[in-house]
Amino acid sequence: MYDQFETAEPDEAVKLAQRRIEEASAEGAGSNLAGLTFNEVIVNMGPQHPSTHGVLRLVVTLDGELVKDVIPVVGYLHRCKEKLAEKRTYYQYIPITDRTEYLAGMNCEWGYVMTVEKLAGIRPTRRAEFIRVIMAELNRIASHLVAVGTFTADLAPLGTAMVFYMFRDREMILDLLEEASGARMMFNYFRFGGVRYDLPSGWVERCREVMRKFPACIDEYEALVNDNAIFLQRCVGKGVMTQRDVVDYAITGPNARASGVAHDLRRTHPYSVYPELEFDLPLGRHGDIYDRYQVRMDEMRQSVRIVEQALDMLPKGPVQIGTLRAPYAITPPPGACYAAQENPRGEYGTYIVSDGSRYPYRLKYRDPCFMNLQIFPKLLRGNKIADAVAISGSMDLVLGGIDR
Amino acid sequence: MSDGATARSRSRYPKLENFERPNVITTTTDFIFSWARSHSVFPFQYGLACCAIEMLSSGFCRFDIARYGMEIFRPTPRQCDLMIVAGTLNEKMAPVLKRLYDQMSEPKWVISMGACANSGGPFYDGYNVVNGVDKVVPVDVYIPGCPPRPEALFQGLLELQKKIQQHSFVAASPSVDGDIGGR
Amino acid sequence: MRGLALEIGTNPLSLAEIIARLHATFAGELEELKPQEPDTVTGRCAAAKLKAVAARLRDQDEVGYGTLNLIAGVDYVTHMETVYHLYSWQTNTYLELHVVLPANDAQIDTVCDVWPSAEWLEREAWDMFGIRFLEHPDLRRILLKDDFVGHPLRKDYVDSIENHPHV
Repeated sequence: MYDQFETAEPDEAVKLAQRRIEEASAEGAGSNLAGLTFNEVIVNMGPQHPSTHGVLRLVVTLDGELVKDVIPVVGYLHRCKEKLAEKRTYYQYIPITDRTEYLAGMNCEWGYVMTVEKLAGIRPTRRAEFIRVIMAELNRIASHLVAVGTFTADLAPLGTAMVFYMFRDREMILDLLEEASGARMMFNYFRFGGVRYDLPSGWVERCREVMRKFPACIDEYEALVNDNAIFLQRCVGKGVMTQRDVVDYAITGPNARASGVAHDLRRTHPYSVYPELEFDLPLGRHGDIYDRYQVRMDEMRQSVRIVEQALDMLPKGPVQIGTLRAPYAITPPPGACYAAQENPRGEYGTYIVSDGSRYPYRLKYRDPCFMNLQIFPKLLRGNKIADAVAISGSMDLVLGGIDR
Repeated sequence: MSDGATARSRSRYPKLENFERPNVITTTTDFIFSWARSHSVFPFQYGLACCAIEMLSSGFCRFDIARYGMEIFRPTPRQCDLMIVAGTLNEKMAPVLKRLYDQMSEPKWVISMGACANSGGPFYDGYNVVNGVDKVVPVDVYIPGCPPRPEALFQGLLELQKKIQQHSFVAASPSVDGDIGGR
Repeated sequence: MRGLALEIGTNPLSLAEIIARLHATFAGELEELKPQEPDTVTGRCAAAKLKAVAARLRDQDEVGYGTLNLIAGVDYVTHMETVYHLYSWQTNTYLELHVVLPANDAQIDTVCDVWPSAEWLEREAWDMFGIRFLEHPDLRRILLKDDFVGHPLRKDYVDSIENHPHV
């Protein structure tokens, strides 16, 4: 029988942590209280943890409560997506892209479909462009609701109750997405040259109704949490990401905007019909945890604004281009290109190399969470272990994207 | 010398041998304990991938898992009865899954939620993907879907409740791990 | 905001102008510079020259590529390629650098000291393709388990029972 009390052999990450401790103590970089010796403890926040939002493993080197070093170990959800791309046709691969960052499926599909359309020179129909924008923004709201909800749920385990309100309101949006695409989470809705289904009758009115109700919901969330003394104490001034960090580590999305960097692909490299839509870019000033939270809340308001404008401007017409011969067997010409779109977490793009056949030759994801996680050790060093949960929650990591 | 054995065999107290076969005492205790067990299952918060989000949604307001007594998702396996494996299992995670399963105390059940946990799902031909959680742990209920709706998860939980209610205290035969209790 | 105030697009140049400036500064080191509408310049660099080019690419005045977005390894069976995708904040354009490497035992200098975001990207290229990055601070597998044998995204990878026992 398996002996539960037998400790496993230290694996590579733990060995690395031990090596770093030895090197630091060899250089004399121990604690500076004379006459006292301190032992540094390696603690494993294992792949199964309620607050790491997925199967992220953190090997933390602690000196008491202070974090000296943290080594994130990823790969516990590596699903071989890039190799699978070579075994599926371009068309068959669309549902798999949904599952990369599963909270924002529509955006992930768009990041893939956009690259193939750029390779093959396909322009979607105008109605489809507006529908894509509406779906992407609705999904952005839903994704931010989960991100902020689980973040506050971790700070005080389900204590703030904000997560209950957020998931309740998320159901309103998931109902809309389900009516349009048929599924609550894995939509399989985007196609090359358009979208799969047209909007059902009455959908536009229902969507307007939800968007009318939604800003009051955001006010409710902010009323619950924004002035909470404990929330402020845990979040203000912690985990500061400077603009230098944003540039060096290729941080994008709300994490970058919270540090004051106005990088948003909808503005800097506009795609689809975003140039015709008016919206603001909420920016933070300090780059701490509170700013990252506040930027996400403000982005939800801006997404509501975008959806309302897109609903007003929605033209009539087909939702799929009719000139695509055999969309099931699309064969883009040989070449390579990269296209990215603004995911709720940052710049999400795909680099596709095509050899002229029905199967991609190489597909590489540019995943925002993978890049955002690289800076996590730097943010956490010197803070307390309890801040690990706050910082990783505020950075909105989705392991499906990190591990692909 | 008093005949202790005959004295004992003629006592009015139930004999230990009585618990080796189902009878009115064991069926009554089984009924009460199984009813209590099946209606207050503590699930293990073991979401791996996308299905975990549907598991979370089922725990919140609209699809209320507390109706079935299962809203206490414990993060530690020691306090849990039920492990809902939601998401894709891969080779790096498989030893972790086995270890967590072993850390749960008997009686324990496993639900495999979603296509990936049932059989590898859309990633079945990946070089790193385990085709089904049942290659590592014994599964009691399989819930198909990608992801299964919360209502589908509830149907699986109801099936599991029926299964728990068949659990018996009668020592039918010792299981491989040496514990007593029928399965 | 403390420190530099990061502006985007302070020096908007057309792709042709960017190519001209890159030709001027990196003559002989960056080859085959071509525009790819709407906002990308593609080019090639020899593996041996990458170290010399990297820091200067980042610090160049008018078209400084301050951010490394992506490192993609691609296995064309006869040779291997790493594709570096760089972003310039001043001109708001991308540069896609292709570096050709031999098919087996590919080795190239790391760019972690120039762009810190390269650390994990290079680990992933090592993990998936077996491209060795010289002087990388911590080159070990990132997405696969530590005792995985082989490099799966190579075209000649065959699934084996030691890597995939629970099949």
